[in-house]
Amino acid sequence: MKVSDIMVVKVKSVLPDTPAGEALEFLSKEKISGLPVIDKDNKLVGMFTEKDVLKYILPGYLDKVGSFVYEDNPRAIRNKVKELLKERKVSDIMREQVIVAAPDASLSEVARIMLTGNARRLPVVDKNRKVMGIIAREDVVKAFIRFSQGEN
Amino acid sequence: MQRNKIAIKLFLIASIIFIIGLWGIDFGLNSRQALSLSIFSLSILGTVFFWEFRLAFAFLGTSILLISKTIDIENLILSSSLEVILFLIGMMVLIAMLKEAGFFAWIITLILRVRTLNARRFTIMVSVVSALLACAVDEVTSIILMVAAVIEICDYFEVEPMPFIMISVFATNIGSAGTVLGNPIGILIATKSGLTFEDFITKAFPLMILCLFVTTILVFRIFKKDIQNLDRKMKKLGANEMLIRLISVPPEQRLKKALFIFGAALFFIAMHHRLEILLGLEPNTILIAVPLIFAAFVMILKHERARKYIEEGVEWWTLLFFMLLFAQAGTLRYIGTTDLVAHKIAAFTGSDRNFLIGFTIWASAIGSSVLDNVVLVAAFIPIIQGFQNINLGPLWWALLFGGCLGGNITIVGSTANIVAAGILEKERKVKISFLRWIIVGLLIGVMTISIVWACLVFLPTYR
Repeated sequence: MKVSDIMVVKVKSVLPDTPAGEALEFLSKEKISGLPVIDKDNKLVGMFTEKDVLKYILPGYLDKVGSFVYEDNPRAIRNKVKELLKERKVSDIMREQVIVAAPDASLSEVARIMLTGNARRLPVVDKNRKVMGIIAREDVVKAFIRFSQGEN
Repeated sequence: MQRNKIAIKLFLIASIIFIIGLWGIDFGLNSRQALSLSIFSLSILGTVFFWEFRLAFAFLGTSILLISKTIDIENLILSSSLEVILFLIGMMVLIAMLKEAGFFAWIITLILRVRTLNARRFTIMVSVVSALLACAVDEVTSIILMVAAVIEICDYFEVEPMPFIMISVFATNIGSAGTVLGNPIGILIATKSGLTFEDFITKAFPLMILCLFVTTILVFRIFKKDIQNLDRKMKKLGANEMLIRLISVPPEQRLKKALFIFGAALFFIAMHHRLEILLGLEPNTILIAVPLIFAAFVMILKHERARKYIEEGVEWWTLLFFMLLFAQAGTLRYIGTTDLVAHKIAAFTGSDRNFLIGFTIWASAIGSSVLDNVVLVAAFIPIIQGFQNINLGPLWWALLFGGCLGGNITIVGSTANIVAAGILEKERKVKISFLRWIIVGLLIGVMTISIVWACLVFLPTYR
């Protein structure tokens, strides 16, 4: 079983210069937690996820200062959210290093990439980084179940 | 364009190394000595032009030294100052434990736990806490904690954090000269010079306090407007209790235990010289052993976290770089390059004590303003060791303070500066220009260095 057999071909995506607020609304409407960012030539340029949004809003030094607890919500975080919604584009928030899968990758290979790369969804791209589809973790798990039951 | 930039940088490095090699031979070095100087310069230039690749440069340089038979394996290992590395590893494990126990929040409450907080008191607290923290932990940890604290607090009061971050950086660089622990420089000088923790407390710490005092007065004038603005906001937005509530202090027990363990380690480190005499041990044995003993204790107590402390708490990237840098500097000594340089300097200055103190402090300060402090000091130590028939005492202090205070002059003067500027740019998209920094940094640098220079020359304590 190859990933091209089970991937979603109609990929929901967003353009890099889409306002971040609009992209967030789209995520909420579609009930998904992340989207690939694709340019006008259908090339993958990044990933825009809820995790990246949180990373943007909160200070970057959090993992370096050790443990503490935010008892309340600092004004700065609120201002960052406002700024994100009013001024930021997807290209400001997205991560550019994206873990991807090739269309002829086996199911196990995709699962390996997801585990080691800690990725919940993988865009499937060709040699020129043009997006052919997308595969999510739940699709992989379901496919494994079918695989174990002897279906192709 | 990127490729062109890299090519230019590589060409510059190659040219400078070649010139240094030729100059070295002209200076009187033989070919091996000139080669070692060139390799060492390669590492240093690597850090200047290719900061992110510095470890690769260090690896390459060390390998070339071995292959070219400039130094043998045994002496390379001896020069790498493994005792300093072990000390730093032990301390880093302790600091990882402290951070996990909530040290950061404690720092913030420390800064704000001032009755009727106003901007002046806040500035003093930032200065003092930065310096004292830099005395106790390494400069990178202390600056990250302080910058994060300053940003959180300034955000609360809706003021620009940049001036207060600069103040914190100045205080951090000054503070790191106060004790053996503060900066890798301290422990490096202590192990090579035979100076003890007590020597640092009686001779370096008071000078550090003096520099801090003068700097704090200067920053009150330089950043007058920003401090007044903060004062207005503090009055408008209200008392400290709200901010302390904002970032909670974690469970008292865990933090108390962590602080106690850390404090105990500091105590035994402070007593190392006396214990060594009492137990008939080689100098610095206890100094190196204490962090290891306490780190072991922590790793047993928190055994489920031990691996994390070692893998993530210890800055292996930095330590490896230091280790190889020390080895390369040691090579310079081993084959006599630095002895020759020392000899020529001594001849040039007539071995005059005051002249040598002045030369050491200003040369190390200027060097430290463009290079990383540790790099500079690692290079200078063998030169000082090469001076003969002179009381080296004041020269070591000159090197310590030159190396630390020089770091305040430019924005790249010290790792603390670079880290702080990086965080500020990332979090607030504020870039401090080279010029903006040097205007203030030069004033503070020159003032503090001059004061230390005067003390070292005139005060009888340093004779």
